[in-house]
Amino acid sequence: MSNSTKDFSVSRRRLLKGLGLASLIPVVSACDSKDSSATANLSAPSPTQAKAGRVLVIGGGFGGATAAKYIKRGNPAISVTLIEPNSTYYTCPFSNLVLAGERNLDSIGHNYNELKEVYGVEVIHALAEDIDGANQSVKLSNGQTLNYDRLLLSPGIDLRWNAIEGYDQAAAELAPHAWKAGEQTLLLRRQLEAMEDGGTFIMSIPADPFRCPPGPYERASLIAHYFKQHKPNSKILLLDAKDNFSKQGLFTSAWQELYGDMIEWVGLSNDGRVVRVDAANLEVETEFGSVYKASVLNVIPPQKAGFIADRAGVSNEGGWVPVNANTFESTQVQNIYVVGDATLAAPMPKSGFAANSQAKVAAAAIVASLAGITPPDPYWANTCYSLLNPDYGISVAGVYKAEEGQIISIPGSGGLSASDAPTSIRQAEAAYAVGWYEAITQDTWGS
Amino acid sequence: MKNYGFTAFLLLTAWAGSSSVWAESAPTASHPSTQVALMASSCANCHGTDGKLAGAIPAIANRPAGVLEAQLLAFKQDQQPNTTVMNRIAKGFSDEELKALAEYFAHIGQD
Repeated sequence: MSNSTKDFSVSRRRLLKGLGLASLIPVVSACDSKDSSATANLSAPSPTQAKAGRVLVIGGGFGGATAAKYIKRGNPAISVTLIEPNSTYYTCPFSNLVLAGERNLDSIGHNYNELKEVYGVEVIHALAEDIDGANQSVKLSNGQTLNYDRLLLSPGIDLRWNAIEGYDQAAAELAPHAWKAGEQTLLLRRQLEAMEDGGTFIMSIPADPFRCPPGPYERASLIAHYFKQHKPNSKILLLDAKDNFSKQGLFTSAWQELYGDMIEWVGLSNDGRVVRVDAANLEVETEFGSVYKASVLNVIPPQKAGFIADRAGVSNEGGWVPVNANTFESTQVQNIYVVGDATLAAPMPKSGFAANSQAKVAAAAIVASLAGITPPDPYWANTCYSLLNPDYGISVAGVYKAEEGQIISIPGSGGLSASDAPTSIRQAEAAYAVGWYEAITQDTWGS
Repeated sequence: MKNYGFTAFLLLTAWAGSSSVWAESAPTASHPSTQVALMASSCANCHGTDGKLAGAIPAIANRPAGVLEAQLLAFKQDQQPNTTVMNRIAKGFSDEELKALAEYFAHIGQD
């Protein structure tokens, strides 16, 4: 449990009013920063802040960092404290480029300096261990207990160890999941580099719902790109616990076009579901007893909301978090808002973009709630780019609103890249994927 | 730092003042600018915070409202050749919403 607890997602934002206000925020923040030489100290909220309210944000990924920033943009007088164990957050988006050797890990790392210095968010690098929703308090691994008026959780996912027999934390050191970016990404990259030409890379892919629905297939594509250049006799075998996957037609036709028969996909109906892992021997066994031996084995296990959601009492029996569609407040515990991969927010996918978008809605709802006014109507968007190689991009997009308490995809909007698009469009989407990464990471962690 | 702190104090006071005025003037309904700001925040994921980031994807802040609105409508109506994703996104908004978004971004100054 311990090494799987720090991951996060969420999102939404607002300017309360007019743009004059936005230009004031950096100046106010210079005063509010927790720099010990500053006249104001966020650990002891000023009278103005105490009146405006205190918000704790747990998790510094796409959801949590966006929420912290946009709450401060909405009302800088609100005290916002972000609780996140790590000083650098490595994004899952673009980590597949690290696996393919096209980027280094540093290029997907983001810190909290601008949230602190520009927006006046207090950041505590500790693990949130427990939540008392009745008393509105959070207990941290550093011994502190903090009270809140509103709590925003962006806990990301936990991996369900042993949901596949034999796949636990020790096994993940031999057969990485790399479904939380960082050391796991580097481990899998080293294994791919060490693999002999002619080897077999096997990936076990879970049933829905799981983080980043197109992610496994982009990973297969970019590893194929690496193999094609450096280990052209190698194979990629995808063992999948479902029969359909995100952008399936676009992926499979591009695989044929770009990589011939290098990638083989086996779905549920063809006995694709892995039920046992022997990490020491790099072997997997499927439901009906087929055993496959890998040169490099990547197991993406089933998932659930990060454990702190259970501690807060906001998760359901399925392990995910139901939320009020209009605000992303928990339907189970008042004054706790939850965003990102941990939530049940279909038809929105579990993506970093969706987490950022949800965080902005939740931030607006929190700002309005603390001011005692009605929150604005929610809007969400999502665009997930996938790279088939560094110059070949595809996407799926969606625009969403709430209708009668449900999140709905707005009819006629969204959808997939055209199946018959020319090379120039694939190249443009690959360039836009890079532009998207720069923009969303700036919008989430930057200023 | 002390001067900064003093300036910040004045601004905070000013902010607190405008905040209460705002709350009193709109006790039951969402403020229109808040509503548009929330809708517009979806754009930041690709165009940067406040639509100001210029890279592979262009900035959209501080461009004439009429230009932005015409562009958004062209996306929505599939009249813009070689579009990748904006046609799919623009169809998620009414013409009035697209106009409000265009006006919102037109009024954001670029640093």
